[in-house]
Amino acid sequence: MDETVAEYIRRTVLKIPRDEIKTMLQKWGFLSETQLQTINFHQIKENISQDVVQLCEENSADIKQAAVLDIIYNHIYPNKRVWSVYQMNKTGEETEFFDLTDFKKKFKRRLRSALKNVTINFREYEDNAIWIRIAWGTPYTKPNQYKTSYVVYHSQTPYVFVSASVLKSNLPLLCQALVVASNYHDIREMELRSHSLNSLKDIVFKRYSQNFQTYCPRPLQERNVAPESADLRIIQENRHEKERIQRVNREVFGDGPQPQLEFAQYKLETMFKSDSKMDVLDKKEPFRCMVKFSSPHLLESLKSLAPAGMADAPLSPLLTCIPQKARNYFKIREKKSLFPGSFMKIIFKDHYRAWGRRDSWNIDVSKKFPSSFSGY
Amino acid sequence: MESADGVARTLPSIGRLSRGPPFGRAHGRFGLSPSGRLLPPAPRSQENADPQKTAFLLRKQWTLYSVTPLYRFSNAHLRDYARLLSAFIAAEKQKGLAVEVGVELAIKVAVSSLPDLKGSDQDQAAILVQLSSRSPASPKNSEEKLIWSGWFCCVSGDDLSENVAEDFTCLPLFLANGAECYTSIVGSWFQKTFDCCFRRLAISPLNLSWMAAMWTGCKVDKTTSAMELVFSVPCLPQPLDISYAIHPEDAKALWDTVQKTPGEITQEEVDVFMDCLYSHFHRHFKIHLSATKLVKVSTAIASAHCDGIIKFLQSQYLTGVLMLLTELAISQIQ
Repeated sequence: MDETVAEYIRRTVLKIPRDEIKTMLQKWGFLSETQLQTINFHQIKENISQDVVQLCEENSADIKQAAVLDIIYNHIYPNKRVWSVYQMNKTGEETEFFDLTDFKKKFKRRLRSALKNVTINFREYEDNAIWIRIAWGTPYTKPNQYKTSYVVYHSQTPYVFVSASVLKSNLPLLCQALVVASNYHDIREMELRSHSLNSLKDIVFKRYSQNFQTYCPRPLQERNVAPESADLRIIQENRHEKERIQRVNREVFGDGPQPQLEFAQYKLETMFKSDSKMDVLDKKEPFRCMVKFSSPHLLESLKSLAPAGMADAPLSPLLTCIPQKARNYFKIREKKSLFPGSFMKIIFKDHYRAWGRRDSWNIDVSKKFPSSFSGY
Repeated sequence: MESADGVARTLPSIGRLSRGPPFGRAHGRFGLSPSGRLLPPAPRSQENADPQKTAFLLRKQWTLYSVTPLYRFSNAHLRDYARLLSAFIAAEKQKGLAVEVGVELAIKVAVSSLPDLKGSDQDQAAILVQLSSRSPASPKNSEEKLIWSGWFCCVSGDDLSENVAEDFTCLPLFLANGAECYTSIVGSWFQKTFDCCFRRLAISPLNLSWMAAMWTGCKVDKTTSAMELVFSVPCLPQPLDISYAIHPEDAKALWDTVQKTPGEITQEEVDVFMDCLYSHFHRHFKIHLSATKLVKVSTAIASAHCDGIIKFLQSQYLTGVLMLLTELAISQIQ
């Protein structure tokens, strides 16, 4: 067995939490049940991984099998990586029959025609998800198994989830191969990124509980009800306001759990308007800002702002539209309205960009923002 | 905060404006917000520190402490202090309070004076302490690696130095960069030797907003970095951090229209500036930033964190920022 393969398997096993190692090896299925019985899974991980490598040596594992173990690990722990979402477009409405073998063949062929040194592995899962693992090399070096990209493609949908992690220069090639293999026309990166792959799927497949306009009848005000607390001096101030906030929050966010995102970023190019008495900035140019919200669970956090008294209810649509618009990167511009002095309209500018190049905010003094914008 | 003292606008030291005065300090002594501060003059390039000498202070993260006056400290004995501190560190290591795990490194102590870092003539010159390690294996070609630096300084600390007895040296601001274990060793030596007291200097959101306003107004040669405010909302089921970065030209334009009095900043102007930023934010997101905690301010001049961490980014404004920090340190001591 190749030394690099042995080392790779050893390191992959070390990543797995000790209690999960046995189950994952069973899922892998490369080592027989009898072989697994010989391993003591209660010793320290260092030793467990050595034992596993030993057994793999006996079975002459090669890089293909090692790659499968890596896919299994990433499938169970996808949140260790950052995932971006891509959407593919097709001209014409025909829904073609999806041929998996054809897809795999075309994908490999397209990728290998541009770059010979790649390791490509596929694994299919029950929910129609195809996981693709690609280890990248260069025209002159073998594929580096530690520099991998992952692609999750649900064949019944036009969406692809990509975790590129390194070597962003290979993204265009990857996108091309996907488009060709799946018989689509083109592909664009959506403004949506997160660690939580399942949440991204929830958002894009609309699997979260959406805020439908449901009629929530208010409980009847009962008379002659004994007060909640014996002490009549204790009253709940602002009870109506609190209830209103809860109700509005529920209408806006829905009742179910929110998809898990870690951040949302807004590039603001709107005008500055002052409502204070002082005569402040009155420019014709936009007030350029960049706002970034971050949290372990952003949407839950935003949902709790109004009840905590830190925000108005309903919260701004800029924040509440995140799941519906399936994006967490926004560029907000002002729309010139026909009637001067009317309220500000906020429009969303979709960023169609090829090959996932992300705009960075360069403060270029020489650049001036146009004072009139095209409506969207 | 409304100016309880109607005298906010005219400060006693306004006469010094012609001689290029440092920040004035008005009623900032008892922990109240100063109702006004004089603006720093335009950077005095020749008069001030040679930027080369202080360049090593820039772009490093410094943790801030306030230090009570040192008893019987003398500028003439810096070499002796270095020797004594070095012996102390060696003794601490022997005691088993290991500072370095593994390789035994010889720690060399250097104590020097930075005469350029001061505001007025009454200020003490800044004192710099540097710890470097030299591998004992090759003492000849000693590649000394700087592992820790700390410096005491006082910039326009007249308020304190005027009211202190003869034997005391006023260096109320201490800045440290490096491992925490060295900071505590050096700190305890100074505390034992000069009978002083070190305390972490936290920066309140109020003072952070002052810094944001003041530093936004400073003229910088080329606009490179945004004016960024970072807010934290910890007491939610899921904590939230909000970063609000404004293009430096736009932030300066806003500040220039708010700041009306020449040569002076008032609390009211800072409040209006912050309120403008908050209301622009609220207009878009319906979130009241004033209800959250301002934890960090970053501009092209410097960046400051509420835990008492500072980073200097422009040498021409170094003294100006130190002046403000000295003021904060003094108000913590008193």
